Amino acid sequence: MKNKKVDFLVVGGGPAGLSAALEAGKRGLKVLLVDEGVRLGGQLVKQTHKFFGHEGTYASVRGFEIAKILVKELKKCKNIEAKTMTSVIGIYEDGVLAWDRKANEVFRIESEYTLIATGASEKYIAFENNDLPGIYGAGAVQTLMNQFGVLPGENFLIIGSGNIGLIVAYQLIQAGANVKAIVEITDKVGGYVVHLNKIRRLGVPVLLKHTIVRALGNNRVEGAVIAEVDESYNVIPGTEKELVVDTICLAVGLAPSIELAAMAGAEVIYIPELGGYIVRRDEFMRTSVPNLFVAGDVSGIEEATTAMLEGKIVGLTVSSEKKKMNLLGEIKALLRELEDFRRGPVSERVRRGFSKMGIKTVSGGFRTEVQRSKGPIGKLRAVIECPQPIPCNPCETVCAFGAISTGGSINGIPWVDYDKCTGCGLCALKCPGLAIFMVKEEVEKKEAIVGIPYELLPVPEEGEKVLGTDRDGKPVCEAVVEKVVKSKDKTHLVYLRVPLKYVDTVRGFVVSPREKYEFVCRCEEVTVQDIEKAIDEGYTDYEELRRYLRIGMGPCGGRTCRLLTLMILARKTGKRMEDLSPGTFRPPTIPVPFNAFLEGDKN
Amino acid sequence: MKTKVVIIGAGMVGASIAFHLTRLGEKDVFILEKSYVSSGSTGRCAGGIRQQWSTRNNVRLAMRSVEWFKRMKEDTGMDVEYKQGGYLILSFDEEEAEEFAENVKMQKEEGLEVEVLTPKQVKRRFPYVNVEGVKLATFCPTDGHANPHLANFAYIRRSVENGARLFTKTEVKEIDVSNGTVKGVWTNAGYIECEVVINAAGPWSKDIGEMVGIDLPTESYRHQILVTEPLENMMDPMIISFSGNFYIRQTRHGSFLMGQGDKDERPGINRKVTAKFLLEMVNKMSRRFPFLRNLRVIRQWSGEYNMSPDAQPIVGLSENVLGYFYAVGFSGHGFMVAPAVGEAIAEWIVFGKPKSVDVSQLSLERFKGKEFLKERSVV
Repeated sequence: MKNKKVDFLVVGGGPAGLSAALEAGKRGLKVLLVDEGVRLGGQLVKQTHKFFGHEGTYASVRGFEIAKILVKELKKCKNIEAKTMTSVIGIYEDGVLAWDRKANEVFRIESEYTLIATGASEKYIAFENNDLPGIYGAGAVQTLMNQFGVLPGENFLIIGSGNIGLIVAYQLIQAGANVKAIVEITDKVGGYVVHLNKIRRLGVPVLLKHTIVRALGNNRVEGAVIAEVDESYNVIPGTEKELVVDTICLAVGLAPSIELAAMAGAEVIYIPELGGYIVRRDEFMRTSVPNLFVAGDVSGIEEATTAMLEGKIVGLTVSSEKKKMNLLGEIKALLRELEDFRRGPVSERVRRGFSKMGIKTVSGGFRTEVQRSKGPIGKLRAVIECPQPIPCNPCETVCAFGAISTGGSINGIPWVDYDKCTGCGLCALKCPGLAIFMVKEEVEKKEAIVGIPYELLPVPEEGEKVLGTDRDGKPVCEAVVEKVVKSKDKTHLVYLRVPLKYVDTVRGFVVSPREKYEFVCRCEEVTVQDIEKAIDEGYTDYEELRRYLRIGMGPCGGRTCRLLTLMILARKTGKRMEDLSPGTFRPPTIPVPFNAFLEGDKN
Repeated sequence: MKTKVVIIGAGMVGASIAFHLTRLGEKDVFILEKSYVSSGSTGRCAGGIRQQWSTRNNVRLAMRSVEWFKRMKEDTGMDVEYKQGGYLILSFDEEEAEEFAENVKMQKEEGLEVEVLTPKQVKRRFPYVNVEGVKLATFCPTDGHANPHLANFAYIRRSVENGARLFTKTEVKEIDVSNGTVKGVWTNAGYIECEVVINAAGPWSKDIGEMVGIDLPTESYRHQILVTEPLENMMDPMIISFSGNFYIRQTRHGSFLMGQGDKDERPGINRKVTAKFLLEMVNKMSRRFPFLRNLRVIRQWSGEYNMSPDAQPIVGLSENVLGYFYAVGFSGHGFMVAPAVGEAIAEWIVFGKPKSVDVSQLSLERFKGKEFLKERSVV
């Protein structure tokens, strides 16, 4: 059996594992990182939203982009070996065994230090018919939709209003699905207010004190029955409602994946505030087993950002021991950062959980008041609608004019200094919560400009008429698109011209439904409508249509579109197919790369 | 049927003549096309629009044409993907490099903005070019390219909107001449009475000449092109080389078009394509533009250069047959000079002589003498 001998074994290639491997790798340790997945990055690879936090923790960068950055750095580091599709099958007294599923080969790992960063798995809930096809965990929906580009349904019911439920709802709408409702069994939304506001603006109802009673359907989900619950979470009879949905998405929380650590003998404790059974560890992430560390969700369900910080702490701690380096200063700085991230009200539960484990946390010490002033009327300026203290400050750091401040702590509520704000809109483009809007009143015209951060398709065009909607997604007025600032990271800023009285009301918009597209040529995206219009304009030969519309000029060479086009041409012109020229056929039959023809060095 | 002017051929040249005629108020125009619009050389060309030529005639025609390309969107209401990204001409040959210096001098006298670049300067400005072996280059920033199909359609469409009539699948079989004067044309769809016939038949120009007994010294030669899958726009200029025997440009769609000449081609119309072209092109271009190596070839096709003896267009009014104009022998460059040539012929018909551009040296008569100046800047 093959044997790999390393200084540091990292199990799990998510944000915690990658961060730990990088810190240790950079300091010269021989590192082996193994991950079960096809790609490194863990949950990051399916997160298409921008992360909160500060620049150092990749705030305002989309999750999958963070994974790319980390993996790129990892590849630069020659003493880190990363193996994907590889599962550690056991941490035994006499060593560690892993199974390389690509090579179908079990091998042995000898390592001086080990980090278990295996993350978490999704919780499930019991309700009638919950074995019907069409019921997914939120993570599965994200994997299908964001990693593999498959939308598992059209009309969704989401169970759970934590950040994951809210984010998935938003992503589903981005992908073109309908979210009929989110039900939340408690009396308040679990996720961040800014995430909630994003989906409220899109008109998704969040039903508090509601739960799912049963799924409907014979062979697959065709609907769901939901109902209100009382104080003890029991269904109140007579409140049942039926929703027509084809997919039910469960976002009811995560359970730490502690199995491997437990097998290794690490002490496990039950702390509901941290997700249930978790691995006990000290502030440096050491478990009860010597040289065995944990980081990320396995030691308490939190955020990818805290997982990265914890991973770094492990990487530094292991390096300092192995290489006899003094890294205490750096480690302490990271601990302080963690402490800061957990100061706010959204971490209240987590803080309680940590105190049960004997880990000290602090709270408060940041601004909690929302700014009253909305700035001088008539000036183009930013209006921030971020009322909940969360550890996030890209608005402050991106502003080139120093006009935004979170008041000295990353958890503080941002305020705008309207003497300094130039109305540039950078903060609105950057804000991960899409919580910053641009406004300008044009009093004499009785109109106003409202700039709205926008991440859906289609992006409207300048001059286009849209329907302005309020904070609950309800239509309030007609609006005209004044300007669209497109951004590389796909958060665009759409400026609407609205009646003056709606300047404080319009916070979203609905693009009037576009024509339905029926594609004939999928390579070049030519539709039936395009072809019919061209024929009406006088292009009545297949070759003319090809030259005019690029139909059949794509990689498939007209395999599917040629016949369809000719059929449309025959129908529109009243000619028989036999009388139409099918046009020319040109090689190559399939696209061939240049280097396939080259001999010798192909690069 | 009866009209004043019959244009034979709905390629860019015929389209441009129709556009200018109708623009100048002459609406009694039939365009006869034996196949479909842009079925000849225009629909198969690379769409380059170059003003850097070795003969004054070509420089002037091209410069005048650029004026028309610049306003084509406004003139026709169609975006023909015109882009003035420049033309970079690379020389791999000392002798040719010396000629370039003379050309540039003449081009500057004609008022064209051209610069001479060293290989180092080429590398700095166009980093995707492998400059190995390059002796010198010239660059004209106002050269450019357009989508030849769309430009062709744009002129045809505007002509038709202005009153001209387009007949596709209509082939001229004979030209009716009596007393040395054009009377009409016989087509597969019947007889059309007319006063003026214009031979804008591109690859078939010789046949249309023979119909009135004029021996046009033109021959059609096959040229091939290949196109790749698209990349984001990165190459602004069209890049060509006579000594290197290639040209390449990136379309707005993102694909790269490229082609070369082949001395072994025999005259005649041959629409097939060859593996030889594909292999030569891929090998040559991969060396010169290494980024192409990972790109895929999507399609290759062929079209004709209707060559004249001096590689300059043959444009004029017949001395023997009254009412018979010819605009032929464009030698692979009809698309780019068509706007000015069309203007000249339209003015000739409407005003009795060309006013905006001098085409007197392009008449058929120039071949009667023993010597004529050959255009050397041809791929």
